[in-house]
This record gives sequence, C-alpha cells and structure tokens, in this order.
Amino acid sequence: MEQQLKELRNEAVAELKAASDLDVLNDLRVKYLGKKGSLTSILRGMGALSAEERPRVGQIVNEIRAELENILTERSNDLKQAALEKRLAQEKIDVTLPARRPLVGHKHPLTLTLDRIKSIFMRMGFTVAEGPEVESDYFNFEALNLPKDHPARDMQDSFYITPEILLRTHTSPMEARVMQSKNPNEPVRIIAPGKVYRCDYDATHSPVFHQVEGLVVDKGISLSDLKGTLDLFVKEMFGSSVKLRFRPSFFPFTEPSAEVDISCVMCGGKGCRTCKDTGWLEILGSGMTHPGVLEMSGYDPNVVSGFAFGIGVERVAMLVYGIDDLRLFYDNDSRFLAQF
Amino acid sequence: MRASIKWLKDYVDFTVTPEELAEKMTMAGVPAENIEFLGQGIENVVTGKIVELYPHPNADKLSVCKVDVGQSKLTIVTGATNVSQGDIVPVALVGAKLPGGIHIQTADFRGIESHGMLCSSDELNMDSKIVPPEVRAGIYILPADTKVGVDIRQVLGLDDVVLEFELTPNRADCFSILGLAREVSVLTKGSLKKPMLTVHEAYNDKAGALAKVSIQATDLCSRFTARILKDIKIGPSPVWMQQRIQAAGMRPISNVVDVTNFVMLEMGVPMHAYDYDLLAQHSIIVRRANPGERLTTLDGVKRELSQDMLVIADAVQAVGIAGVMGGLATEVTSATQTVLLEAAAFNGASVRRTSRALGLRSEASGRFERGIDPSTVDKALDRAASLLEAMGAAKITHGIIDNYPGVQLPKQITFDPGRVNARTGLKVPQETMVDILRRLEFTVEPKPGQVTVTVPSWRGDVTGMADISEEIARIYGYDSIPTTFPCGEVVQGTQSYTDTIADLTKNSLCGIGFSEIITFSFIHPSAFDKLGLSPEHSLRQAIPLLNPITDEFPLLKTTLMGGVLDTVVRNISRKNEELKIYELGAVYQAKSFPMEELPAEPLMVCGAMYGKRQPMSWNETRENVDFYDVKAAVEVILEKLGIKNYSVEAGEYIALHPGKTALFKKEGVVIGAAGEVHPKVLDAYGIQRSVYLFELDLALLEKFSRLIGGYQPLPRFPAVSRDLAVVISDTIRATDVTEAIRSTGGDLLANVQLFDVYLGEQVPDGAKSLAFSLTFRAADRTLTDAEVDTHYNNIVEHLGNSFGAQRRI
Repeated sequence: MEQQLKELRNEAVAELKAASDLDVLNDLRVKYLGKKGSLTSILRGMGALSAEERPRVGQIVNEIRAELENILTERSNDLKQAALEKRLAQEKIDVTLPARRPLVGHKHPLTLTLDRIKSIFMRMGFTVAEGPEVESDYFNFEALNLPKDHPARDMQDSFYITPEILLRTHTSPMEARVMQSKNPNEPVRIIAPGKVYRCDYDATHSPVFHQVEGLVVDKGISLSDLKGTLDLFVKEMFGSSVKLRFRPSFFPFTEPSAEVDISCVMCGGKGCRTCKDTGWLEILGSGMTHPGVLEMSGYDPNVVSGFAFGIGVERVAMLVYGIDDLRLFYDNDSRFLAQF
Repeated sequence: MRASIKWLKDYVDFTVTPEELAEKMTMAGVPAENIEFLGQGIENVVTGKIVELYPHPNADKLSVCKVDVGQSKLTIVTGATNVSQGDIVPVALVGAKLPGGIHIQTADFRGIESHGMLCSSDELNMDSKIVPPEVRAGIYILPADTKVGVDIRQVLGLDDVVLEFELTPNRADCFSILGLAREVSVLTKGSLKKPMLTVHEAYNDKAGALAKVSIQATDLCSRFTARILKDIKIGPSPVWMQQRIQAAGMRPISNVVDVTNFVMLEMGVPMHAYDYDLLAQHSIIVRRANPGERLTTLDGVKRELSQDMLVIADAVQAVGIAGVMGGLATEVTSATQTVLLEAAAFNGASVRRTSRALGLRSEASGRFERGIDPSTVDKALDRAASLLEAMGAAKITHGIIDNYPGVQLPKQITFDPGRVNARTGLKVPQETMVDILRRLEFTVEPKPGQVTVTVPSWRGDVTGMADISEEIARIYGYDSIPTTFPCGEVVQGTQSYTDTIADLTKNSLCGIGFSEIITFSFIHPSAFDKLGLSPEHSLRQAIPLLNPITDEFPLLKTTLMGGVLDTVVRNISRKNEELKIYELGAVYQAKSFPMEELPAEPLMVCGAMYGKRQPMSWNETRENVDFYDVKAAVEVILEKLGIKNYSVEAGEYIALHPGKTALFKKEGVVIGAAGEVHPKVLDAYGIQRSVYLFELDLALLEKFSRLIGGYQPLPRFPAVSRDLAVVISDTIRATDVTEAIRSTGGDLLANVQLFDVYLGEQVPDGAKSLAFSLTFRAADRTLTDAEVDTHYNNIVEHLGNSFGAQRRI
C-alpha cells in the first residue's frame, strides 16, 4: 500500500508539474484529490488495513495530499500569472493615438478676465454695480465735472442718440449713480464693469470695449490707499513680481489723478516691443475723486474723500494672454475662442 | 507740443540729458511721448558753394560742379537741375552718412569721379511741412550769406533735440516753451530767465488814436490788445527764429508771420497781424457774426458764418474768425506798410465750437480752446512788437490799445497742510510744501498749520485744496506715495442676483460645449430683413445713432440673433467645421420715439450650433447636430437654474423653421425658443448648411429661477423597470403620451423615459411606435411584481382609451 501511495504521489507530482493550463490543472485536482479521485479512493480502502497500519498510512496520505495541494496552488498561481501576462500583452494599445475629447465650451477671454478682476476686488470687499450702457449726458459727463464744451470731452469721442442721450464713453457714470442712490456721505466700495463706447475704429481702437470702474468713498481715504489697492490688484492679476508705478495725469473727475503703469509683463521691465522699450505698460487711469464730483452727488468733500479708477479690460486681457490684436476679441473665430 | 532743448535752454539752465528730462517731466504730469534727435544719422555734411557748373560731357542729364567746402574744392557730379553757380548748398563729403544708412563714397559717373553729393531737404530727413516750398524740390539752396564749410546740422538747426509733449487738457500753461521751461526749472531747480520786455516806441502817434477797438461780445472776449506798427519791411525772419519755429513743427513764412508764431510758441498767446490800411475806418469790432455773413479765410476758402461764431470785424465786415483764422482780405503782404497786431483772449468753448463747426483746427485754436491767460496777452504783444522792431521789420507807435472787460482778480486758496497730506498719504513738511509752491510761482503766505496761496494767473486749473495736493504730490514725487489700504468697516463684496443668473447660464453653456462670443452692440437694418421680420415687427424699432462710426452700424441692436448669425457665417467662411456659440448681452429697446428717457436694456442669451456633435475622432463616426441638441441646451440651462414644470410646445419664433421650433413656456409665458434656422433666413445669410439656434430672455430666467432647494433624497428601495412600446397615430405628440403615462402611473412611477421612436415596417401608415422605459419605485418598501403589473396594465389601458394606442409586443 505504501508502495502504491508512493507511486501515485510520484505520478501526480509529475503530471501536476507538467500541466500547461488551468483546465488541465483542474482536471488533475479532480483526478487525484476529488471525491472520486485516486487519493480519496485509497483513503477509502484504508478500512482493510490493520489498526496499527491505519494511522501511519493515514499520515502518509495526508502528507501527500498536503504536498499535492501545495503544488496545485503554486502551479495554479504560476499559470494565472502567465495567463494574465499574456492577456496584458495582447491588450496593449497605442497610447499615442489622439485622445477622444468631448466638445468643450470656452468662456470669452474678456469674460474670463472680467471674472478675475471682479473676483480680486470682491475679495477686497468691493460690491459689483451694474448700470445702463445708454446713458444721459448728465451722468456721463456733467456729474463728472465735464460740463458742455469742456475740452476734455474731446478725449472721448461719443456716440450720441439725442443731444442729451449717448452711449456711455466710460463706466464712470456709475460713480455718480451709486452715490446718488445712497444717503449723503454713506461709504461706497464698488466696482462697475461693463461695455463702453467711443467713436474710434481702427487696428488699436474698438468702438465697443469694456471697462471696470472702481469707487471707494469713506472718511480719510487717500491717494496711498488707492496705490495700495491697485498694487494688490496688479500683483494678483499679473504676478507678485510685477511693479506698479503711479504717474501724475489728468482726468476731470479726479484730483490728484494718476496714470498707473506696471513693469512690462513681457520683458520684466528691460524694454521690448510690447512696452515700446520703456519697460512700463500703461494699464489704467485713477485718482482721488474730485470734490466737485462728490458735491454734485450730495456728498460733502469736507467730510469724506474717495478714490476712483477705470481699468481697460481688453488691455488687461491682451497682456494676460499675450494677444496682440484687439480686433480678435470681437471677431469670434472659434479657433481663437477655443484657446481660453 | 514740440519743445526744442536748445530753445528751453534759452530760459533755464539744465544739465540733464534729454532722456532724463523727458522722464522727469513725465513723472511730474507733463508727459513726454517722444524724443526726436534732429539730424540723427547725418555726419560729414557741410555747406559748400558751387563755384563752377558745367554740363557733363558724356551724359545729358548730369552736371559737374566744383564746390568750395572751405578746406578744399571738390568735383561733384549731380543730377540736380535747380542749382546755379554761386549757390550755397549742403554737401555730403566722401565718408558722409545720411539718414537711412546712406554712406557717401567716391563714385565714377561716366568718366568723371564725383567726390561727394549735393543734398535735398528730403535727404536730410527734414519734414516737408517745415521746409519752405521753394527749397522742397531739388537741392536745398541755402541763404546767400551762409558760411561755407560749416556743419549742416548747425546751419539748419539740426543739432537739436525735440521733446514731444502730450499735454493733458488742464495744463494750458504748458502749451508754450516758457510754460514748459517753468516746469523744467522747478524740476531741475534751475532759475527761470524770462525774455526781456523793452519796447522802443519810435513814433509818438498814439495807437489809441490810430485805431478804434470795441468789444461787443464781452462774454466771449475777455481782453483784446493791439499795437500799431509802421514802416513794415516784409522779409525773411532771422535764421535763429526760423530754426526755433521749424523745431516746433511750423514753417517759416515771413518776418511778421514768423514773429506772431514765435511768440505764440514762446508765450502761448496766439496773435494776428492785420494790414492796418485795409481795415475799414481803422476800426476793430469784436462781435458775433451777422446773419448770413461770409468770410474768405487765409486759406482762400469762403466760409459761411453762423451767428454764434465770434468774429473780428472792421467797420464794414468780418476780417477774421476770432481765435480760428484770419481773413484773406486784410492779410499782411509785401505791400503792407502798417500793421495792426492783435493779442487777445477769446472764450475757449466758443473757439472750440467754431473751429469744430468749420472743420478748422490750428495751433491758435488749440491754445484758445484750452484757455489763454488774459493777463499775459499784453506782454505777448510787447514781445512781438519788440522782436519786429529789433529785426528792423517795423517801428512801433506809442502805447497799446487794451480793452479788458474780463479782468479777473488773482485767486486765493487757503489750505491746511495736514489735510493735503491726508489726501495724498504723503508726509510732506509744511516748509517743503511752501518751497514747492513758490518754485511754481505761487505767492505763499504760510502760518502755522495754515497756508494761503495766490494762484499764478496761468494756472486756471488750480481752484482748490485738491489741486494744491496734486501740485505738491507731483513735484514731491508720486514714487514717494506709500501703499496703504482703505480702512473703514469690513465689508463683503457682493454681486447682484442677475449677475449670478448670468454666471450660472454661462457655466451651463460652457459645460455643454458652447463657447461665448462678444459682438458689437450695433446692427444694420438689413439684418431685420435677413431675419425675416415683418415690416411692422417691434424688433425693427431700433435706436438710431446720430453719428454712427460706419454705415455698417447705424442702429443699436434689438436682437442678438443678427450678431450670432454673422458669427456663424464668419466661422463657416473660415472653414471651422463645428461651432457651438452663444452670446449673453443686452439688447436696446426705446420706450418711445423720439427718445426722451433712457431705453430698456434687457439681457438676452442667444446661441447657435452647426456641424458635428463631437470633435473629429479617429475611431468614432460622428453625426451632425440636430434640433434635439439645441433643445437640450435650453433644458440644461433651465435645469441648472432650478426651473421646473415648464412646457415645451411647437410654435413659431422669429428666424426659425415653423415645423422645427420649440417654445419653452412657464406659467403661460414664453421664456425662450429653440429650433432650426428657417431656410429663408439661411438663404439670406448665404448659409448652406443646417444651423440650430436658441434664444432666452434672462429676466424671465431670473424670475422663474429657484436656486434654493431642489434636492431629491436618494431612493432607499430598489426600482423595477418595465419597457412599454405602443403604436399610436402619428399626429399625437410624444409629450402628451408621456404626460398620460405619468399621470396614470401616479406616485409609484418614478420616471418615464422615451427611448425609441419608430416609423416603418411593422407599423401601419400614419402611425408610429413609441417605446418607453418606465421605472416604478415606492419610497417605503420594495415593490412586488404584482403591484407593478397592476400599474403597468392601468397605463396600457389608459393609453388605449385616450389615444387608441396598441401595445406592441
């Protein structure tokens, strides 16, 4: 019997080791270890053995069973691994083929720029105010210290609808509109984004363009507050290494007035084509709200002071994205739009 | 304003370079936009005298000349035809450089070696505008008394640098060399040397007796001064004066004209010279033009004057348009013996209106528009008279005629230096403020904590403490202003609900592949025809602009469709094969015509799509978008805004195919529409493919939006799905069948989804098969098959009763 077991074991080990796939291996499991398998039948025939022999043979059978099961597991793992490797090799694809992209929508670069500007100022506590694009001469000019025949009106060639109604030439009318909607001397901290219009149409002028007006009125507001606010804005918008420069200028509705330049974002201030070799880029106009403007809107310049600024959105977007032609914004070619 | 560095140095000593000066001035609010180095690129060009001139023996069109250039005599071959023996001309020597990178070398012209080149003004890069007409063509023939062998840059004043200032409208005082020199003196701390004003009156005749001046329109002329100059000798002005005038960008004409221009440039006061003998009754009346009055101006144009225009008239008629241009009839000519020289201050707004109305703008009108300091006009007059006298061009009669109805007292401002610092954020000591203001020629009376200044007459722009603070800050330096933040209550920035709705709508569209466009707010009336609007359609009531920029854009748009379809056309023409775009913006609706109040500016969103549904792909077939894609766009927008229980109905909408238009209605109001663009509209736009379009009214989206709530708890019990296919008449709308299923299914029917529409074999003519996936679910238990069967059979029965539907198995 022991001899028979030994032979069976040798035969089984040899067959298991030679098994070439999982099906064969499974058949062998049934053949040797199954309910009707060889080893099981030997076990069943143990009844014929003597009481002394039975434990010894039983132990041998168990040892053989354990050994065969080990071999089976090991073999099965090997074969599974081989099968997996084969499958993985077969399933290899060319990952360099183009991706299958969904049709992605894009916001207009001016909207993206405007959204960033809004978000920067909203975090500084500015509320967004909206107003009409078709505006009265009063709000567009007179309430901003620009009476009729003021030579500075020439700076802004206007589209008129009637002698008293025009397309706003800037977002500044919102300064007067917001103040007049409030109680006298009530603090103001707003930005007013929107379309503005001027009669100028060439490679570098669009008759329709976008501005963001800003106005802060409160007790003790100073030019240095304006500088600090705009410094934060340009650093958020263009990066912390960008430098800001204040330059005296003139706007009828601010006094003192400041033109704001930033160090050139293209060359870092060394001088290039974009900054016309000056190292600086003019990006916005600003200043301390003119006392007359406060007065006309019912605020007392002896009690409160304010600052205002007007940001050209196209200008900022061109610098942020490196766009060199203003006309592209209104051309709406899908190949342009898809880049943002 | 062009300012020659040499001219500025006549009035103030400074050592900074032109570049440094430009920077200083710019940073003080007088921006120098450009620096022009006159004579740049010119080297080794000297004056030479043509001592011999003869035709080239071997060439018809060339001449040979011997030119004395001081050190030597050169043989030069020239093609010029305007030179003669004895002329003094610019000579580019061998080795010379000319602008544009030209190098002069010895050259052989048909057997004769040429050692240089005679130059024209063009070759010296001189603007033809400033060169006398007689020397513009051909070689520049210099005055006969020009020295020979001298560097041409020196002779023509090209050894100078010109700063071009882009003046802001408030700084009228800088519209003169003297005004700029004053700023330079303040910034470089050099002292200002004003020109000497000594008038030698050769004749005792009193000017006031020789001519009568009266101002009728005192509102438009605050001061009028005049002098009478006799023994006029018209001739060229001195070379130094011509060079100053040329550097400023003007052309020398004659001594009298040049002096008036010189003084205008120097002191900022435009002047005019009349031929005294041609003034009727030797009188001057400053008045508004008479009805129908006409005047031929110096440029030879006969002009119709309107009654609001200010004129200078003699006893009979207008002889000049005040501040704009003089009249031809009283022009100073070589025959003139006596001159009435005018210096006056006219109302800026009036000059501005007149010059605009006549389309005549000049150096003079530009200065009047910004404002003339009336207190300097007599000084300018004296300056001009003394210059003419000094150059022997005139003799001056006694006294000055001075009508000065608009005398203004000097302005005084008292300010608290602490408040000035509070406004700028600077900490400028009071002494420094006083010093800055004194340098700017303010009269300053400082007291502790309070300063009173008298504003110089030329600084009309300075009217209060705010202006003082700018003067202090700009001279002290804007660079010194620190960066601080506004204090005050901490406030949270917010935006309007409308903005939020617009943002959400843009996000939804972006999420489903639509790109945003921004178009001009204008429209051409032909767009209304192309869109197929009836003649009386309200969208045709567009607001016209008084001064449209081009014929393309005469109206404000009443619909976004025009701009969107134009963009479609543009993209098709550029072979962009797929397009999904939208615009969100205002349209403009007048409340009445003619417009008396501001129009409504409702926001609309309009989108269009054409081409394939997906981008190009190597392993997928692509299909064209159709009506159901554009419908989906609207559904997504509505869903994201929480708008539910709206209906979708077939209907008609502008520019859309009547059989392929869905109207979205909520509470009986049309929120918007989606559909295929009408074939006629496509035709009108020249589009040869299907385009789908949607339009929504943002105010209605806002009204029906519900951004709060809307969450449905996830089901806790499993659902049972059943499919149902029915054959019904083709005329029954899918939505009605769906609605019937929904109402019959009751609470347990969680969802109805139409997944197939079939017409064809196995379905009778005039009928269609609709297949639905029905999902049943109870919130509190797992449904049994028997329960579902009951509901399912109810639905089948109801559809049979209501629509004659046959269940298809």
